[in-house]
Amino acid sequence: MDDWQYKPAGDHGLKREESLKSLRREAGLIGTITQTAWRLAVRGYLRGYHRLKVEGMEHVPAKPSFVMVANHTSHLDALTLAAALPWPLRRFAFPIAAGDVFFETPAVALFSAMMLNALPMWRKSCGPHAMQQLRDRLLSEPTIYVLFPEGTRSRDGSLGRFKPGLGMIVAASEVPVVPCYLHGAHAACPANRKMPLPLPLHLRIGAPLTFGSVKNERAGWQEIAGQLEAAVSALRDAGKWEV
Amino acid sequence: MFGLHPVAFWIAAGIAAGLAITPLIFLILDKVGKLKPALRSDLWTRYKSWLVLAPLMVGPLLAGRLAAIIGVGVLSLACYREFARATGMFRFRAISAVVALGILLLTFAAADQWYGFFVALSSLTISVLVIIALFADQPKGYIQRVALGIFAFSLFGVCLGHYGYFANDKDGAGQAFLLAILLCVELNDVFAYCTGKMFGRRKLAPQTSPNKTIGGALGALILTSALFATLVHAIVHGSALDQPVHLIAMGMLLSLTGQWGDLVMSSIKRDLGVKDLGVTIPGHGGLLDRFDSLIFVGPAMFHYVNYFLGLGLDQPVRGITGH
Repeated sequence: MDDWQYKPAGDHGLKREESLKSLRREAGLIGTITQTAWRLAVRGYLRGYHRLKVEGMEHVPAKPSFVMVANHTSHLDALTLAAALPWPLRRFAFPIAAGDVFFETPAVALFSAMMLNALPMWRKSCGPHAMQQLRDRLLSEPTIYVLFPEGTRSRDGSLGRFKPGLGMIVAASEVPVVPCYLHGAHAACPANRKMPLPLPLHLRIGAPLTFGSVKNERAGWQEIAGQLEAAVSALRDAGKWEV
Repeated sequence: MFGLHPVAFWIAAGIAAGLAITPLIFLILDKVGKLKPALRSDLWTRYKSWLVLAPLMVGPLLAGRLAAIIGVGVLSLACYREFARATGMFRFRAISAVVALGILLLTFAAADQWYGFFVALSSLTISVLVIIALFADQPKGYIQRVALGIFAFSLFGVCLGHYGYFANDKDGAGQAFLLAILLCVELNDVFAYCTGKMFGRRKLAPQTSPNKTIGGALGALILTSALFATLVHAIVHGSALDQPVHLIAMGMLLSLTGQWGDLVMSSIKRDLGVKDLGVTIPGHGGLLDRFDSLIFVGPAMFHYVNYFLGLGLDQPVRGITGH
């Protein structure tokens, strides 16, 4: 017979404002309802307005935890990657979003937390501590991160250099990293546009990589960033884009 | 007065006056030099919270039957949320959703004055909780998940829900009762704190709540019983309940169930290993840290009054679903 196990919410004991920004935040009943409603709306929008096409669904792991990485040109990217996940996996998905955009004001932070289920990454002051928290969560509970290793939206639509920070999350672990390439988002909604144009989106998902044998140190992080950048770039060139 | 039961009016006026005078008392104590800075800032934080809480609690009760019932429903849901997040049972979404739904239906039954449904919801919700937990097909931890759900529903749904049903009592007597209960339960805590500071030596339950003393408990029992008996006397004037034995019994019952509610929440916090159950109210902690004492008082008073005086529960009303 086992003892009872109580595990308070990861953000238990934090004030409302801090809990929205917490990397350990867990959605309750209300959050689950708002996020589900939001996902249904986004799925409908992407299918209807952008005629989203997804190829390579067979590469998505059947169970969390894993990480999805992609090129970044538009706010549509995170929405598309999260929406492309199979429905049973939906509530494990956390887009990693720029803290200085998505968690700056309380109202925006509320939206990012309750609708997007986003976790903040503070670009100016993101220390190893935050990365360690993300890593701990990924390894200890079913979690899917959607993140963009370029660190910012590409202004001209080309693929930028991948930053090594991502390596700190997955190095020396068996957590699969799924490379993706999203085509069309730069044309539909580049960084300088507010309202997206009704242009088609095409997402290509590649075979997952694991980095169990890569050391969790600076050289290893660089190696992981390089491998993933090559994988995403290979997906870009892997076939014709239907646009 | 202003469409209120006279006793309800005087209690509300008394609470307002008390909140107005409190800063003066603080200032005087401060001038005499009785307050240490830490205690002073703690008292001010608590006082400021009360300035927000008191209108939030008293307002719906004064606003009428429906507002009071909805207010109790919201309080039940908020208390359940805190409990679920502190224990981790919120992760079992189906169980959590059934508890929330049960609380919503209890609120509806109270608003509809459908006592049969109000009673039926206890056994029905518990049955659904036990059954719905089957569908995850995870026997490991089954008892814990189900038991936490039933525990939470019983305390925050059924027990607190009695306050909502109480608001249905005709001619505003229920309203007056609720205000009297609210005032006395909160003062019960204050009395226990003050008399404990003055006379308390022996610990009441050192493992559960190290700061509580037997002196404080007895002091609160005497003072609260006297106050509540006086208020009930004014409310039920001339009726079958207006006898010393009933008045004293009700006063003692209120004080005891109030203190036990407090100890129950302390036990829960100790078992979980958390200091507060939430951070909703500055200076107090979570909602449950403030409203714990209310949980068992509601059902005790409701059924006492109903047994000896009757709350019209045998009359079919069903304002919404009837006809």
